[in-house]
Amino acid sequence: MPDTKRTEKDVLKELTDEERTLLKRILEIERARLHVKAADLTDDLLAAVKEILP
Amino acid sequence: MKIGSIELRNFRQFVGKQTFVFKSDSLRPVSLIFGGNGAGKTTLLNAFTWALYGSMSEDVEEQHRMVTDSVWRNLATGGTTEVAVELTFDHEGRDYRLLRRAQVRKESDEQQRLVPVVELWETKSDGSSEVVGAPQERIYTILPEGVSRFFFFNGERIEKLVQKGAYGEVQQDIKVLLDLEQVERALDHLPKVDRKLTADLKKYGGQKASEIQTAIDELREKEDVDKEEQKVLEADLATLKEEREGVTELLRQHAAAAPIQRERDAANTDLGEARQARAQALLERSSLVATRGFIAFTDELTKTTTDISSALYERGTLPAPLKREFVEQLLADHYCICGTSLEEHTEPYNRVLEWRQRAGLQAVESAWQQLRGQMTPIAGARRELYESLQAILKRVVTEGDRISRLEERISELDGLLRDLRLEGVDELESKRIDLDGRIGRKEQRIGSMKASLEQVQKDIAQRTAERGRAEVTDELAAKARARSDLVQAVRRALEEILAIRSEDMRRRLDAELKEVFGKITIKRYVPRLSETFELALFQDVGGVELAVPKSTGENQILSLSFVAAVSKLAREIRRERRAEGSPVEDAGTYPIVMDAAFGSLDQNYQREVSRALAQMAPQLVVLVSKSQGLGQVVHELMPYVSHLGVVVTHTTVEQDVSDDIELEGIAYPYIRSAAEADHAELKEIT
Repeated sequence: MPDTKRTEKDVLKELTDEERTLLKRILEIERARLHVKAADLTDDLLAAVKEILP
Repeated sequence: MKIGSIELRNFRQFVGKQTFVFKSDSLRPVSLIFGGNGAGKTTLLNAFTWALYGSMSEDVEEQHRMVTDSVWRNLATGGTTEVAVELTFDHEGRDYRLLRRAQVRKESDEQQRLVPVVELWETKSDGSSEVVGAPQERIYTILPEGVSRFFFFNGERIEKLVQKGAYGEVQQDIKVLLDLEQVERALDHLPKVDRKLTADLKKYGGQKASEIQTAIDELREKEDVDKEEQKVLEADLATLKEEREGVTELLRQHAAAAPIQRERDAANTDLGEARQARAQALLERSSLVATRGFIAFTDELTKTTTDISSALYERGTLPAPLKREFVEQLLADHYCICGTSLEEHTEPYNRVLEWRQRAGLQAVESAWQQLRGQMTPIAGARRELYESLQAILKRVVTEGDRISRLEERISELDGLLRDLRLEGVDELESKRIDLDGRIGRKEQRIGSMKASLEQVQKDIAQRTAERGRAEVTDELAAKARARSDLVQAVRRALEEILAIRSEDMRRRLDAELKEVFGKITIKRYVPRLSETFELALFQDVGGVELAVPKSTGENQILSLSFVAAVSKLAREIRRERRAEGSPVEDAGTYPIVMDAAFGSLDQNYQREVSRALAQMAPQLVVLVSKSQGLGQVVHELMPYVSHLGVVVTHTTVEQDVSDDIELEGIAYPYIRSAAEADHAELKEIT
């Protein structure tokens, strides 16, 4: 269980720029394909990782 | 998402082309449309969902008859016609025009199931339109179909939203709406990404790093298996708990049935006694009538007898001055008391003989005396008979009334008992005990599974740290490790974000729900959304919080409060700065379109629900009948109404059933008779 006083902002603040960028990108990719239950986004997410850490 | 307008073409009873504009602002967000029973309000509600998803709610009958009946009937075989719904709306700063339509060719009188085509255009600021590829997918991203149940609904069925068994689905829908679903999906997908990345590390990272990675992979596999098992266990637990709730409910019904059964038994005994008492009274009456009934008819007889007697006395015939026995003795002695000899055939003899005829009998006189003496008691006996019969009749009536009352009560109690589903109490009790045991064992297993998962996760963290320290010389492997570390860090952050969002969402939804419900209800009930998303009502009874069984009306208020709370929270959450980045201005904004929203609610509840919804929904379309909507609803909503309309019923009935609706002092057509064909007309008033 998380510390109840911690917020989403606290979590984001502790991430590095690269981690924060990846997290945002992952959520964008997932959100865009939310309606496709069976979508396998592994390759899209992998590409996002490689974009950030070429 | 905000609706601009709707256009219906031969859609169900809406013949030809009919449009309605819903454009509104935050000051007047409401469109209020009236319509009689069967006019087409539910069809209009379903026109929205058909346009968006190509589906209609289950309560719409004859779903294959999409083309207006009269249009279909007038269409020649081989001819074609179109059925369509066009919707304009804006979403997150973009304007859209959505068209779902089908060209239908008439092969027979029976309409066939349609295969509609959906098209979507995005309107640019310069007025030009651009076709949206994969239109249905875009619609799903704007408003997922599952989530639409919160925004397009039939008020009379909305209580199902918060009924037992619906939690799982509701929870899933809310996750989408409140930005939890994408986090969960990401957490599902990231391990696969990591596995692909670490394959290079295993291949080129040298023995140590490869060994560590193999161990991490094995631990991850175990983690996956454990998580999967945990999900299964939790689903089983939910099923068992639901089953136990069902059994407990039956037991409660047994407890509820016991006093009814007792009362019914007592009423049955009383009924037997009452029937017996009435039968006894009837028997007594028969016996009285058989033995003494004749007395009732003696009035005239006694009167006649008394009159005769009186007349006889008046004439001096009674009491008789000369007794026949005395005259006969004189004739037998041949000697009169005056000394005259009474020889037969002599004049004195004949004169005395004549007296014999005129003399009275002693017996007759005695009988007369006796009869006269009985006249008075007979009158008394008549009175007595009358009183006895009256008393018996009173008993018959009293017992008859008692029988009727008891029979009615027993019928009512029978009805109550019939409504309660009954099974053997013993059987139910042992089933409940068995379920308690199974639930306990399941909870134990879930507990140990959680402990096992925590251990696996600790081991993974430890191994990942070891991996970081392991020497890796290969550049490709080093990159793979760095990427994997990046993914792991994001994964941990997402796990924490999911936990924070879940708890935050539930807490805020719970608080919002309490506030909305509190404004509407007149009772001191408090709703609570549990960690497992179960919605329940509680009441503070002397400091003790007790669960309150919800009525249909309360479930509807609870559901409407829930919808209002979800709608408000969706907007708030999307507007907050979150991991996804800055939101657009109308993020999380959705219209609420509701049919018969106030159907089962009392006037005071209608007022409060109207007020709450008008103030909370960014756009509200209310479809109501005159009986549901006039009065409190109109009074509360009118200050917020931007568009007022009527679905006019046109009926072929020839007798005049026409009716108007009066709104703000002006009468508008509501029902019109003697139409050429039955149809509905969507009419905008203001």
